[in-house]
Amino acid sequence: MTKKTRSMMRKWARVAVPSVLLLGAAVVWLSPARAQTPSAAKAKTSSATAVQTSRTPQGQPDLDGVWSIAFLTPLQRDPEFRDKQFFTPEEAAAYLKKRSQEVDVDRRSASAEVDTAEAYNQSWYDRGTKLGRNMRTSLVIDPPDGRIPPMTPEAKRRFENAHAYFAAHPADGPEDRNLGERCLNFSQEGPPMLPGGYNNNYQIVQTPNYVAILAEMGNKARIIPLDGRPHLPQSVSQWNGDSRGHWEGKTLVVDTTNVRFNDKSHFGVNYDGLTDQNFRLTERFTRTAADTITYQATVNDPTVYTKPWTIEIVMSKSEDPLFEYACHEGNYGMFGILSGARADEKKAAEKGHN
Amino acid sequence: MRGNPRRLAGLVVAAGLFLCVTAAWAHHAFTAEFDSTQPIKLRGTVTKMEWINPHAWIHVDVKGDDGKVTNWMVECGTPNTLLRRGFTRDTVTPGMEIVVDGYRAKDGSSRANGRDVTFPDGRKLFLGSPGTGAPEDKPSPGGNEK
Repeated sequence: MTKKTRSMMRKWARVAVPSVLLLGAAVVWLSPARAQTPSAAKAKTSSATAVQTSRTPQGQPDLDGVWSIAFLTPLQRDPEFRDKQFFTPEEAAAYLKKRSQEVDVDRRSASAEVDTAEAYNQSWYDRGTKLGRNMRTSLVIDPPDGRIPPMTPEAKRRFENAHAYFAAHPADGPEDRNLGERCLNFSQEGPPMLPGGYNNNYQIVQTPNYVAILAEMGNKARIIPLDGRPHLPQSVSQWNGDSRGHWEGKTLVVDTTNVRFNDKSHFGVNYDGLTDQNFRLTERFTRTAADTITYQATVNDPTVYTKPWTIEIVMSKSEDPLFEYACHEGNYGMFGILSGARADEKKAAEKGHN
Repeated sequence: MRGNPRRLAGLVVAAGLFLCVTAAWAHHAFTAEFDSTQPIKLRGTVTKMEWINPHAWIHVDVKGDDGKVTNWMVECGTPNTLLRRGFTRDTVTPGMEIVVDGYRAKDGSSRANGRDVTFPDGRKLFLGSPGTGAPEDKPSPGGNEK
């Protein structure tokens, strides 16, 4: 090898080696297989070091304002994605297209029953037009498969009993219907707070000793004391439970217990409507950007779910006000449900007599 | 089989509804209230719009084949979504002609859900892209966090 060749080779190496290393790093970074563990992801969103957090006059991180969770990220991960926690931009674009079509009720179903349940035109719905800004494949981030854990055998039995009762008594009275139809509680309120068909907006108001969260859907404010007072006694239960909050660094941590349990409200508050006196929820609110609160909520109910499960939702700042959702005022639908059930019974009785 | 793509779309929507259980059960109310075996098409004149929650109602005078006019109540969604996009109660005014494609109330009364409400020329009543109630996804000052 000549001196010139050796020198050329050295020059080539100086360029090529870093290039290969950079290319290798880029390949790894862009690889769809790059996944984060739930705990790493949790740590990332709750540390919030990159952004200057705005503060209230008392020096608390500022959560004040109107916030939207109208995004199309599904609650549970599509099984095809398995343990994949994040989309690449290309995957997100393709999935958004698919999701947008799924939720677009102006694409009518061939099934008359599904079509009836879709109720009205797409223009009345407000599920959002984008996926959550955190690029996650599901709201559920733990367990790692993005699916809510199975129920315990006992809870499954209770759930099936509730279903059997509902099949036999769909509408003897309003108490047989779910809490949403009764204008009592909706998934957006929870807690945990989950998006629904519309009204996916909240107003958060802070004082030194309280945080209040007004959910547009349900028009109820959850009042969260920060003064360290104990929870209500076990004998007292409430539709939204009993919440207590405190600050851990930049994160508001809210602990909720005493959620009302009702065997008949099986499609009520939470995902499957099944909660009991052992339900405990831990929520974390962190202002992770000027226009973002990252919300995480862990459901713990060992008599119902075989494992705890956690969701993460990016709340996006809105410049709109909330609009009043005075559900009780005009709930003609409940009359219609009850009279519809009476009509069904009459029809069945007449058939029986023929 | 004719209509296969629509059936597939139906299955996909049904799966999507199942994945959003709480929302699906909330609108299970519509199958309890309205009869999926009694689809109905109405064409008539708006007499009033109840801009209320949880569901808005459009009242429509519909002339039957016998010339008799019946006032129908048509159930819609929450006004909040439309308010956010700039529509108001005055968007639908008495005297307007509309076409309602829906399902009859089970109890036989003159009520239907407004599964698809359009002007006679086929334009949807509340034009505008769906879901525009959500705020714009602006990039955050500190850069987009992943």
